[in-house]
Amino acid sequence: MKQPEHWGDGIVKTQDMTRAEVETALARAGLEVPEREKSEIAAAAHFIQEMAERVRGRRAMSAEPAHIFPPPGE
Amino acid sequence: MVPDFLTIAEAAALIGKRELSPVELTESRLARIERFDDKLHSFIRVLREPALAAARRAEAEIMGGNYRGPLHGIPIGLKDIYETKGVPTTGHSKILIDHVPQQNAASVRRLTDAGAIVVGKLATHEFALGGPSFDLPWPPARNPWNTSRFTGGSSSGTGAAVAAGLVLGGTGSDTGGSIRGPAAFCGLAGLKPSYGRISRVGILPLAFSLDHAGPMAWTAEDCAIMLQAMAGYDPADPASADRPVPDYRAALSGDVKGIRIGLIRHFYENDNPADEATRQGIAAAVNVFEGLGCSVRELRLSPLAEWAACGVMIMLSEAYAIHQATLRERFDDYGELFRDRMALAALVSGGDYVQAVRRRRELAAEFTTAMADLDLAITAAAPGEAPAIDAVSKFSTFERPMLTMPFNVTGTPAMSVCCGYSPAGLPLAFQLCGKPFDEATVLRAAHAYETATPWRSVRPRLEP
Repeated sequence: MKQPEHWGDGIVKTQDMTRAEVETALARAGLEVPEREKSEIAAAAHFIQEMAERVRGRRAMSAEPAHIFPPPGE
Repeated sequence: MVPDFLTIAEAAALIGKRELSPVELTESRLARIERFDDKLHSFIRVLREPALAAARRAEAEIMGGNYRGPLHGIPIGLKDIYETKGVPTTGHSKILIDHVPQQNAASVRRLTDAGAIVVGKLATHEFALGGPSFDLPWPPARNPWNTSRFTGGSSSGTGAAVAAGLVLGGTGSDTGGSIRGPAAFCGLAGLKPSYGRISRVGILPLAFSLDHAGPMAWTAEDCAIMLQAMAGYDPADPASADRPVPDYRAALSGDVKGIRIGLIRHFYENDNPADEATRQGIAAAVNVFEGLGCSVRELRLSPLAEWAACGVMIMLSEAYAIHQATLRERFDDYGELFRDRMALAALVSGGDYVQAVRRRRELAAEFTTAMADLDLAITAAAPGEAPAIDAVSKFSTFERPMLTMPFNVTGTPAMSVCCGYSPAGLPLAFQLCGKPFDEATVLRAAHAYETATPWRSVRPRLEP
Protein backbone atom coordinates (compact mmCIF):
# COMPACT_ATOMS: atom_id res chain seq x y z
CA MET A 1 0.00 0.00 0.00
CA LYS A 2 1.11 3.54 -0.75
CA GLN A 3 2.52 5.48 2.19
CA PRO A 4 -0.14 7.54 3.95
CA GLU A 5 -0.33 11.10 2.74
CA HIS A 6 -0.80 13.47 5.68
CA TRP A 7 -3.59 16.02 5.26
CA GLY A 8 -2.70 17.96 8.33
CA ASP A 9 -2.42 17.26 11.99
CA GLY A 10 -3.84 13.83 12.68
CA ILE A 11 -5.58 13.09 9.38
CA VAL A 12 -4.27 10.49 6.96
CA LYS A 13 -5.31 9.74 3.37
CA THR A 14 -4.32 6.45 1.79
CA GLN A 15 -4.65 5.04 -1.69
CA ASP A 16 -8.26 4.19 -2.58
CA MET A 17 -9.44 0.61 -2.95
CA THR A 18 -10.21 -0.08 -6.57
CA ARG A 19 -13.80 -0.22 -7.72
CA ALA A 20 -13.28 -3.91 -8.51
CA GLU A 21 -12.02 -4.64 -5.00
CA VAL A 22 -15.04 -2.91 -3.48
CA GLU A 23 -17.45 -4.76 -5.78
CA THR A 24 -15.87 -8.07 -4.86
CA ALA A 25 -16.19 -7.30 -1.15
CA LEU A 26 -19.84 -6.28 -1.49
CA ALA A 27 -20.66 -9.37 -3.54
CA ARG A 28 -18.90 -11.57 -1.01
CA ALA A 29 -21.04 -9.95 1.70
CA GLY A 30 -24.13 -10.82 -0.30
CA LEU A 31 -25.26 -7.22 -0.68
CA GLU A 32 -27.16 -6.25 -3.82
CA VAL A 33 -26.11 -2.62 -4.15
CA PRO A 34 -27.46 -0.41 -6.97
CA GLU A 35 -24.80 0.76 -9.45
CA ARG A 36 -24.97 4.45 -8.49
CA GLU A 37 -24.50 3.61 -4.84
CA LYS A 38 -21.62 1.25 -5.64
CA SER A 39 -19.71 4.15 -7.13
CA GLU A 40 -20.25 6.27 -4.02
CA ILE A 41 -19.27 3.43 -1.73
CA ALA A 42 -16.12 2.80 -3.77
CA ALA A 43 -15.27 6.48 -3.59
CA ALA A 44 -15.64 6.39 0.20
CA ALA A 45 -13.79 3.11 0.76
CA HIS A 46 -10.56 4.97 1.51
CA PHE A 47 -12.11 6.07 4.82
CA ILE A 48 -12.17 2.44 5.96
CA GLN A 49 -8.61 1.85 4.81
CA GLU A 50 -7.39 4.94 6.64
CA MET A 51 -9.12 3.92 9.86
CA ALA A 52 -7.84 0.35 9.54
CA GLU A 53 -4.28 1.66 9.14
CA ARG A 54 -4.72 3.69 12.29
CA VAL A 55 -5.95 0.87 14.50
CA ARG A 56 -3.46 -1.74 13.31
CA GLY A 57 -0.36 -0.16 14.79
CA ARG A 58 2.53 -2.11 16.28
CA ARG A 59 1.82 -3.74 19.57
CA ALA A 60 2.97 -6.67 21.62
CA MET A 61 1.51 -10.06 20.71
CA SER A 62 0.06 -10.20 24.20
CA ALA A 63 -1.75 -6.84 23.93
CA GLU A 64 -5.32 -7.61 24.97
CA PRO A 65 -8.49 -6.19 23.44
CA ALA A 66 -10.73 -4.02 25.59
CA HIS A 67 -13.52 -6.53 25.86
CA ILE A 68 -11.63 -9.15 27.88
CA PHE A 69 -13.65 -9.51 31.07
CA PRO A 70 -13.60 -11.52 34.31
CA PRO A 71 -16.01 -14.43 34.70
CA PRO A 72 -19.23 -13.63 36.59
CA GLY A 73 -18.70 -13.43 40.32
CA GLU A 74 -14.96 -12.73 40.10
CA MET B 1 -52.19 29.47 31.36
CA VAL B 2 -49.19 27.13 31.24
CA PRO B 3 -45.98 28.89 30.09
CA ASP B 4 -44.65 27.92 26.65
CA PHE B 5 -41.34 26.86 28.12
CA LEU B 6 -40.75 25.22 31.48
CA THR B 7 -37.87 23.18 32.77
CA ILE B 8 -38.58 19.89 34.53
CA ALA B 9 -37.41 21.41 37.81
CA GLU B 10 -39.72 24.43 37.40
CA ALA B 11 -42.72 22.31 36.50
CA ALA B 12 -42.00 19.83 39.30
CA ALA B 13 -41.88 22.64 41.85
CA LEU B 14 -45.30 23.87 40.71
CA ILE B 15 -46.79 20.36 40.55
CA GLY B 16 -45.42 19.56 44.00
CA LYS B 17 -47.17 22.64 45.38
CA ARG B 18 -50.33 21.71 43.44
CA GLU B 19 -50.09 24.97 41.50
CA LEU B 20 -49.79 23.17 38.17
CA SER B 21 -51.94 20.27 37.06
CA PRO B 22 -50.20 17.39 35.21
CA VAL B 23 -53.29 17.23 32.99
CA GLU B 24 -53.05 20.91 32.06
CA LEU B 25 -49.32 20.59 31.53
CA THR B 26 -49.75 17.56 29.27
CA GLU B 27 -52.61 19.21 27.36
CA SER B 28 -50.42 22.28 26.84
CA ARG B 29 -47.61 20.14 25.36
CA LEU B 30 -50.05 18.27 23.11
CA ALA B 31 -51.35 21.62 21.89
CA ARG B 32 -47.79 22.77 21.13
CA ILE B 33 -47.09 19.54 19.25
CA GLU B 34 -50.22 20.11 17.18
CA ARG B 35 -49.24 23.72 16.55
CA PHE B 36 -45.56 23.34 15.72
CA ASP B 37 -44.65 19.78 14.85
CA ASP B 38 -45.91 19.90 11.27
CA LYS B 39 -42.74 21.88 10.55
CA LEU B 40 -40.41 20.24 13.05
CA HIS B 41 -41.25 16.57 12.42
CA SER B 42 -39.85 15.70 15.83
CA PHE B 43 -42.54 13.10 16.57
CA ILE B 44 -43.07 9.82 14.76
CA ARG B 45 -46.07 9.00 16.90
CA VAL B 46 -48.02 11.13 19.37
CA LEU B 47 -49.67 9.13 22.17
CA ARG B 48 -52.40 11.63 22.96
CA GLU B 49 -54.97 9.51 24.78
CA PRO B 50 -52.50 7.32 26.72
CA ALA B 51 -50.63 10.47 27.77
CA LEU B 52 -53.79 12.18 28.98
CA ALA B 53 -54.87 9.04 30.85
CA ALA B 54 -51.44 8.84 32.52
CA ALA B 55 -51.62 12.55 33.38
CA ARG B 56 -55.04 12.05 34.99
CA ARG B 57 -53.68 9.15 37.04
CA ALA B 58 -50.69 11.25 38.10
CA GLU B 59 -52.96 14.08 39.11
CA ALA B 60 -55.15 11.77 41.18
CA GLU B 61 -52.11 10.28 42.89
CA ILE B 62 -50.67 13.69 43.71
CA MET B 63 -53.97 15.03 44.96
CA GLY B 64 -54.23 11.88 47.07
CA GLY B 65 -50.90 12.67 48.72
CA ASN B 66 -48.84 10.16 46.75
CA TYR B 67 -46.31 12.46 45.08
CA ARG B 68 -43.52 10.31 43.62
CA GLY B 69 -40.95 13.00 42.97
CA PRO B 70 -39.81 15.53 40.39
CA LEU B 71 -40.76 13.48 37.31
CA HIS B 72 -44.32 12.89 38.51
CA GLY B 73 -46.65 14.36 35.91
CA ILE B 74 -43.84 15.56 33.61
CA PRO B 75 -44.40 15.07 29.84
CA ILE B 76 -41.43 13.45 28.10
CA GLY B 77 -40.71 11.91 24.72
CA LEU B 78 -38.88 8.70 23.85
CA LYS B 79 -36.47 8.27 20.97
CA ASP B 80 -38.11 5.63 18.79
CA ILE B 81 -35.49 3.02 19.56
CA TYR B 82 -36.76 2.73 23.16
CA GLU B 83 -39.24 -0.13 23.16
CA THR B 84 -42.74 0.58 24.41
CA LYS B 85 -45.27 -2.09 25.30
CA GLY B 86 -48.06 -2.25 22.76
CA VAL B 87 -46.77 0.79 20.87
CA PRO B 88 -44.75 0.45 17.65
CA THR B 89 -41.00 1.00 18.03
CA THR B 90 -39.58 1.42 14.57
CA GLY B 91 -36.04 2.79 14.74
CA HIS B 92 -37.44 5.28 12.20
CA SER B 93 -37.19 2.47 9.64
CA LYS B 94 -39.40 0.62 7.23
CA ILE B 95 -37.64 -2.54 8.42
CA LEU B 96 -39.40 -2.38 11.81
CA ILE B 97 -42.50 -0.44 10.81
CA ASP B 98 -44.76 -3.15 12.29
CA HIS B 99 -42.63 -3.92 15.34
CA VAL B 100 -44.84 -3.79 18.44
CA PRO B 101 -42.87 -4.74 21.57
CA GLN B 102 -44.40 -6.79 24.36
CA GLN B 103 -42.50 -4.90 27.06
CA ASN B 104 -41.22 -1.45 27.87
CA ALA B 105 -37.47 -0.89 27.81
CA ALA B 106 -36.03 -1.08 31.32
CA SER B 107 -35.26 2.65 31.32
CA VAL B 108 -38.78 3.47 30.12
CA ARG B 109 -40.16 1.42 33.00
CA ARG B 110 -37.99 3.36 35.41
CA LEU B 111 -39.12 6.69 33.99
CA THR B 112 -42.81 5.82 34.13
CA ASP B 113 -42.39 4.35 37.61
CA ALA B 114 -41.04 7.78 38.59
CA GLY B 115 -44.27 9.26 37.24
CA ALA B 116 -43.15 10.61 33.84
CA ILE B 117 -45.86 10.94 31.19
CA VAL B 118 -44.84 9.53 27.79
CA VAL B 119 -46.30 11.89 25.20
CA GLY B 120 -44.94 10.09 22.16
CA LYS B 121 -42.17 8.46 20.18
CA LEU B 122 -39.54 10.73 18.69
CA ALA B 123 -37.73 10.80 15.37
CA THR B 124 -34.23 9.36 15.12
CA HIS B 125 -31.76 8.65 12.41
CA GLU B 126 -32.55 5.20 11.01
CA PHE B 127 -31.42 2.70 13.66
CA ALA B 128 -29.53 5.57 15.30
CA LEU B 129 -27.09 5.86 12.38
CA GLY B 130 -28.60 6.73 9.00
CA GLY B 131 -29.63 10.35 8.74
CA PRO B 132 -30.80 12.92 8.05
CA SER B 133 -32.69 10.83 5.48
CA PHE B 134 -35.50 11.87 3.18
CA ASP B 135 -36.37 8.37 1.93
CA LEU B 136 -37.73 6.86 5.15
CA PRO B 137 -41.37 6.41 6.22
CA TRP B 138 -41.11 9.64 8.24
CA PRO B 139 -39.24 12.85 7.41
CA PRO B 140 -36.16 13.91 9.40
CA ALA B 141 -36.62 16.23 12.37
CA ARG B 142 -35.86 19.92 11.83
CA ASN B 143 -33.97 22.29 14.09
CA PRO B 144 -36.36 24.64 15.98
CA TRP B 145 -33.80 27.46 15.87
CA ASN B 146 -34.00 27.43 12.08
CA THR B 147 -35.93 24.71 10.31
CA SER B 148 -33.56 24.72 7.33
CA ARG B 149 -30.83 23.50 9.70
CA PHE B 150 -29.84 20.03 10.86
CA THR B 151 -30.77 18.91 14.37
CA GLY B 152 -27.70 16.75 14.70
CA GLY B 153 -28.17 13.07 15.20
CA SER B 154 -29.09 10.52 15.88
CA SER B 155 -31.38 11.62 18.73
CA SER B 156 -32.77 14.21 16.35
CA GLY B 157 -36.40 14.23 17.43
CA THR B 158 -35.46 14.54 21.09
CA GLY B 159 -33.23 17.51 20.33
CA ALA B 160 -35.95 19.26 18.38
CA ALA B 161 -38.85 18.45 20.72
CA VAL B 162 -37.09 19.56 23.90
CA ALA B 163 -35.72 22.75 22.32
CA ALA B 164 -39.19 23.62 21.04
CA GLY B 165 -40.81 22.99 24.40
CA LEU B 166 -42.99 20.18 23.02
CA VAL B 167 -41.79 18.01 25.89
CA LEU B 168 -39.79 18.91 28.99
CA GLY B 169 -37.26 16.13 28.55
CA GLY B 170 -36.56 13.10 26.46
CA THR B 171 -34.42 10.07 26.00
CA GLY B 172 -31.47 9.74 23.67
CA SER B 173 -28.85 7.16 22.90
CA ASP B 174 -25.20 7.80 22.17
CA THR B 175 -22.86 5.43 20.31
CA GLY B 176 -20.54 8.06 18.83
CA GLY B 177 -22.20 11.30 19.90
CA SER B 178 -25.91 10.84 19.27
CA ILE B 179 -26.98 12.55 22.49
CA ARG B 180 -24.32 15.25 22.56
CA GLY B 181 -24.53 16.17 18.86
CA PRO B 182 -28.24 17.04 18.78
CA ALA B 183 -27.98 18.59 22.24
CA ALA B 184 -25.24 20.88 20.87
CA PHE B 185 -27.07 21.85 17.68
CA CYS B 186 -30.45 22.31 19.41
CA GLY B 187 -29.07 24.11 22.48
CA LEU B 188 -29.90 21.49 25.12
CA ALA B 189 -28.09 19.81 27.95
CA GLY B 190 -27.44 16.21 26.91
CA LEU B 191 -25.67 13.67 29.09
CA LYS B 192 -24.02 10.47 27.92
CA PRO B 193 -23.46 8.72 31.24
CA SER B 194 -20.84 6.04 31.89
CA TYR B 195 -21.15 2.80 29.94
CA GLY B 196 -23.27 0.50 32.07
CA ARG B 197 -24.92 3.26 34.12
CA ILE B 198 -28.31 2.94 32.38
CA SER B 199 -29.69 -0.40 31.25
CA ARG B 200 -29.69 -1.01 27.51
CA VAL B 201 -32.41 -3.65 27.80
CA GLY B 202 -35.23 -2.89 25.38
CA ILE B 203 -33.31 -0.29 23.41
CA LEU B 204 -32.65 -1.19 19.77
CA PRO B 205 -28.87 -1.65 19.56
CA LEU B 206 -26.51 0.09 17.19
CA ALA B 207 -23.16 -1.16 18.56
CA PHE B 208 -23.24 -3.22 21.73
CA SER B 209 -19.97 -2.09 23.25
CA LEU B 210 -20.44 1.62 22.53
CA ASP B 211 -24.19 2.17 23.10
CA HIS B 212 -25.11 4.46 25.97
CA ALA B 213 -28.64 5.56 26.92
CA GLY B 214 -29.09 8.97 28.49
CA PRO B 215 -31.22 12.02 29.20
CA MET B 216 -31.68 15.15 27.10
CA ALA B 217 -33.32 18.21 28.63
CA TRP B 218 -33.01 21.98 28.82
CA THR B 219 -30.71 22.12 31.84
CA ALA B 220 -28.14 20.07 33.70
CA GLU B 221 -30.53 19.99 36.65
CA ASP B 222 -33.21 18.41 34.46
CA CYS B 223 -30.68 15.85 33.21
CA ALA B 224 -29.86 15.07 36.85
CA ILE B 225 -33.55 14.50 37.58
CA MET B 226 -33.94 12.18 34.59
CA LEU B 227 -30.68 10.33 35.22
CA GLN B 228 -31.79 9.68 38.80
CA ALA B 229 -34.76 7.75 37.48
CA MET B 230 -32.99 6.02 34.59
CA ALA B 231 -29.77 4.90 36.32
CA GLY B 232 -29.23 1.68 38.21
CA TYR B 233 -28.05 -1.89 37.97
CA ASP B 234 -30.01 -4.23 35.74
CA PRO B 235 -28.98 -7.89 35.88
CA ALA B 236 -30.74 -8.43 32.55
CA ASP B 237 -28.13 -6.23 30.82
CA PRO B 238 -24.72 -7.94 30.69
CA ALA B 239 -23.05 -4.53 30.43
CA SER B 240 -24.91 -3.06 33.40
CA ALA B 241 -22.67 -1.81 36.21
CA ASP B 242 -23.51 -2.73 39.79
CA ARG B 243 -22.41 0.61 41.19
CA PRO B 244 -24.12 2.85 43.74
CA VAL B 245 -26.29 5.59 42.25
CA PRO B 246 -25.69 8.87 44.11
CA ASP B 247 -28.21 11.65 44.60
CA TYR B 248 -27.45 13.62 41.43
CA ARG B 249 -29.63 16.59 42.21
CA ALA B 250 -28.11 16.95 45.65
CA ALA B 251 -24.72 17.16 43.94
CA LEU B 252 -25.76 20.43 42.24
CA SER B 253 -24.43 22.50 45.11
CA GLY B 254 -23.24 25.35 42.93
CA ASP B 255 -19.83 25.07 44.56
CA VAL B 256 -17.16 24.04 42.07
CA LYS B 257 -14.18 25.58 43.87
CA GLY B 258 -11.10 23.44 43.53
CA ILE B 259 -12.33 21.34 40.60
CA ARG B 260 -9.38 20.59 38.29
CA ILE B 261 -10.18 20.78 34.58
CA GLY B 262 -8.09 19.74 31.57
CA LEU B 263 -8.69 21.67 28.34
CA ILE B 264 -8.31 19.41 25.28
CA ARG B 265 -7.63 22.28 22.93
CA HIS B 266 -5.97 20.36 20.08
CA PHE B 267 -9.18 18.42 19.39
CA TYR B 268 -10.98 21.57 18.21
CA GLU B 269 -8.08 23.78 17.14
CA ASN B 270 -6.06 21.29 15.08
CA ASP B 271 -7.67 17.87 14.74
CA ASN B 272 -11.21 18.97 13.79
CA PRO B 273 -10.98 22.76 13.69
CA ALA B 274 -13.97 24.53 15.16
CA ASP B 275 -15.22 27.89 13.93
CA GLU B 276 -14.24 31.11 15.63
CA ALA B 277 -17.52 31.51 17.53
CA THR B 278 -17.17 28.06 19.10
CA ARG B 279 -13.54 28.73 20.08
CA GLN B 280 -14.54 32.01 21.65
CA GLY B 281 -17.42 30.31 23.45
CA ILE B 282 -15.10 27.72 24.95
CA ALA B 283 -12.50 30.35 25.88
CA ALA B 284 -15.22 32.31 27.66
CA ALA B 285 -16.43 29.13 29.39
CA VAL B 286 -12.91 28.49 30.66
CA ASN B 287 -12.91 32.01 32.12
CA VAL B 288 -16.26 31.32 33.80
CA PHE B 289 -14.95 28.12 35.38
CA GLU B 290 -11.81 29.87 36.58
CA GLY B 291 -13.97 32.64 38.00
CA LEU B 292 -15.95 30.02 39.88
CA GLY B 293 -12.78 28.73 41.49
CA CYS B 294 -11.80 25.87 39.17
CA SER B 295 -8.27 25.43 37.91
CA VAL B 296 -7.83 24.83 34.17
CA ARG B 297 -4.74 23.51 32.41
CA GLU B 298 -3.99 22.17 28.95
CA LEU B 299 -4.55 18.45 28.39
CA ARG B 300 -3.03 16.72 25.38
CA LEU B 301 -4.25 13.32 24.20
CA SER B 302 -3.64 11.23 21.08
CA PRO B 303 -4.92 12.97 17.93
CA LEU B 304 -8.69 12.96 17.59
CA ALA B 305 -8.48 10.86 14.43
CA GLU B 306 -7.03 7.99 16.50
CA TRP B 307 -10.05 8.00 18.80
CA ALA B 308 -12.48 8.38 15.92
CA ALA B 309 -10.93 5.55 13.90
CA CYS B 310 -11.08 3.23 16.87
CA GLY B 311 -14.69 4.06 17.68
CA VAL B 312 -15.99 4.11 14.12
CA MET B 313 -14.37 0.77 13.23
CA ILE B 314 -16.00 -0.84 16.28
CA MET B 315 -19.34 0.91 15.65
CA LEU B 316 -19.52 -0.11 12.00
CA SER B 317 -18.50 -3.70 12.68
CA GLU B 318 -20.97 -4.27 15.51
CA ALA B 319 -23.81 -2.54 13.64
CA TYR B 320 -23.08 -4.59 10.54
CA ALA B 321 -23.25 -7.80 12.57
CA ILE B 322 -26.71 -6.79 13.81
CA HIS B 323 -28.07 -5.95 10.35
CA GLN B 324 -26.07 -8.38 8.18
CA ALA B 325 -28.86 -10.87 7.47
CA THR B 326 -31.52 -8.21 6.89
CA LEU B 327 -29.22 -6.22 4.62
CA ARG B 328 -28.87 -9.30 2.41
CA GLU B 329 -32.62 -9.84 2.27
CA ARG B 330 -34.05 -6.31 2.30
CA PHE B 331 -31.26 -3.93 1.22
CA ASP B 332 -33.68 -1.61 -0.58
CA ASP B 333 -35.99 -1.34 2.44
CA TYR B 334 -33.33 0.54 4.39
CA GLY B 335 -32.77 4.21 3.69
CA GLU B 336 -29.86 4.96 1.39
CA LEU B 337 -27.70 6.58 4.06
CA PHE B 338 -27.98 3.68 6.46
CA ARG B 339 -27.54 0.93 3.91
CA ASP B 340 -24.55 2.57 2.22
CA ARG B 341 -22.84 3.26 5.53
CA MET B 342 -23.43 -0.42 6.33
CA ALA B 343 -22.06 -1.42 2.93
CA LEU B 344 -18.86 0.38 3.88
CA ALA B 345 -18.87 -1.64 7.08
CA ALA B 346 -18.79 -4.79 4.97
CA LEU B 347 -15.26 -3.75 3.95
CA VAL B 348 -13.95 -4.01 7.53
CA SER B 349 -12.12 -7.26 8.20
CA GLY B 350 -12.50 -9.30 11.36
CA GLY B 351 -8.83 -8.75 12.08
CA ASP B 352 -9.19 -4.99 11.89
CA TYR B 353 -12.19 -5.08 14.20
CA VAL B 354 -10.08 -6.84 16.81
CA GLN B 355 -7.25 -4.36 16.25
CA ALA B 356 -9.75 -1.56 16.95
CA VAL B 357 -10.78 -3.25 20.19
CA ARG B 358 -7.10 -3.63 21.16
CA ARG B 359 -6.58 0.06 20.33
CA ARG B 360 -9.56 0.86 22.54
CA ARG B 361 -7.82 -0.65 25.54
CA GLU B 362 -4.74 1.49 24.88
CA LEU B 363 -6.75 4.69 24.44
CA ALA B 364 -8.86 4.06 27.54
CA ALA B 365 -5.66 3.53 29.56
CA GLU B 366 -4.25 6.75 28.10
CA PHE B 367 -7.31 8.70 29.21
CA THR B 368 -7.19 7.22 32.71
CA THR B 369 -3.53 8.25 33.08
CA ALA B 370 -4.16 11.71 31.63
CA MET B 371 -7.02 12.31 34.06
CA ALA B 372 -5.12 11.11 37.13
CA ASP B 373 -4.77 14.59 38.58
CA LEU B 374 -7.87 16.09 36.98
CA ASP B 375 -11.59 15.92 37.76
CA LEU B 376 -12.99 16.98 34.38
CA ALA B 377 -11.98 17.70 30.81
CA ILE B 378 -13.41 20.29 28.42
CA THR B 379 -13.43 20.25 24.66
CA ALA B 380 -15.81 21.23 21.85
CA ALA B 381 -19.01 19.24 21.35
CA ALA B 382 -19.30 20.19 17.68
CA PRO B 383 -17.08 22.21 15.34
CA GLY B 384 -19.68 24.95 14.96
CA GLU B 385 -23.35 25.77 14.53
CA ALA B 386 -25.82 23.37 12.92
CA PRO B 387 -25.26 23.05 9.15
CA ALA B 388 -28.06 23.15 6.58
CA ILE B 389 -30.02 19.89 6.75
CA ASP B 390 -29.51 19.25 3.04
CA ALA B 391 -25.75 19.84 3.29
CA VAL B 392 -25.04 16.75 5.40
CA SER B 393 -23.26 14.22 3.21
CA LYS B 394 -23.79 10.48 3.13
CA PHE B 395 -20.40 9.79 4.64
CA SER B 396 -20.14 12.84 6.89
CA THR B 397 -19.36 10.57 9.85
CA PHE B 398 -16.02 9.73 8.25
CA GLU B 399 -15.04 13.05 6.70
CA ARG B 400 -13.98 14.75 9.91
CA PRO B 401 -13.11 12.95 13.16
CA MET B 402 -16.01 13.20 15.59
CA LEU B 403 -15.32 15.32 18.66
CA THR B 404 -17.68 13.19 20.70
CA MET B 405 -16.35 9.70 19.92
CA PRO B 406 -13.39 9.66 22.35
CA PHE B 407 -15.75 9.36 25.31
CA ASN B 408 -17.66 6.47 23.76
CA VAL B 409 -14.31 4.75 23.35
CA THR B 410 -13.51 5.35 27.03
CA GLY B 411 -17.09 4.75 28.21
CA THR B 412 -16.77 7.73 30.52
CA PRO B 413 -19.46 10.39 31.14
CA ALA B 414 -19.61 13.37 28.80
CA MET B 415 -22.15 16.14 28.52
CA SER B 416 -22.98 18.76 25.94
CA VAL B 417 -23.42 22.21 27.50
CA CYS B 418 -24.66 25.25 25.57
CA CYS B 419 -22.08 28.09 25.63
CA GLY B 420 -23.88 30.75 23.64
CA TYR B 421 -25.12 31.45 20.15
CA SER B 422 -23.51 32.05 16.77
CA PRO B 423 -23.93 35.31 14.84
CA ALA B 424 -26.80 33.51 13.04
CA GLY B 425 -28.49 32.85 16.39
CA LEU B 426 -27.75 29.12 16.48
CA PRO B 427 -26.57 27.30 19.62
CA LEU B 428 -22.89 26.52 20.31
CA ALA B 429 -21.64 23.99 22.82
CA PHE B 430 -18.76 22.42 24.66
CA GLN B 431 -18.38 19.01 26.26
CA LEU B 432 -17.68 18.39 29.92
CA CYS B 433 -16.09 14.99 30.37
CA GLY B 434 -15.69 13.16 33.65
CA LYS B 435 -14.17 10.11 35.25
CA PRO B 436 -15.93 6.74 35.18
CA PHE B 437 -19.26 6.82 37.05
CA ASP B 438 -18.66 10.39 38.21
CA GLU B 439 -21.67 11.90 36.47
CA ALA B 440 -22.26 13.91 39.65
CA THR B 441 -19.19 16.10 39.10
CA VAL B 442 -20.04 16.59 35.42
CA LEU B 443 -23.57 17.67 36.33
CA ARG B 444 -22.35 19.87 39.21
CA ALA B 445 -19.96 21.78 36.95
CA ALA B 446 -22.50 22.07 34.12
CA HIS B 447 -25.15 23.35 36.52
CA ALA B 448 -22.74 25.91 38.00
CA TYR B 449 -21.83 27.11 34.50
CA GLU B 450 -25.47 27.38 33.42
CA THR B 451 -26.30 29.33 36.56
CA ALA B 452 -23.42 31.75 35.97
CA THR B 453 -24.28 32.45 32.32
CA PRO B 454 -27.41 33.76 30.55
CA TRP B 455 -27.75 31.06 27.87
CA ARG B 456 -30.56 29.05 29.51
CA SER B 457 -32.89 32.03 29.31
CA VAL B 458 -32.80 32.08 25.49
CA ARG B 459 -35.33 29.91 23.67
CA PRO B 460 -36.10 29.49 19.97
CA ARG B 461 -38.83 31.59 18.38
CA LEU B 462 -41.22 29.20 16.70
CA GLU B 463 -43.61 29.78 13.86
CA PRO B 464 -46.62 27.51 13.32
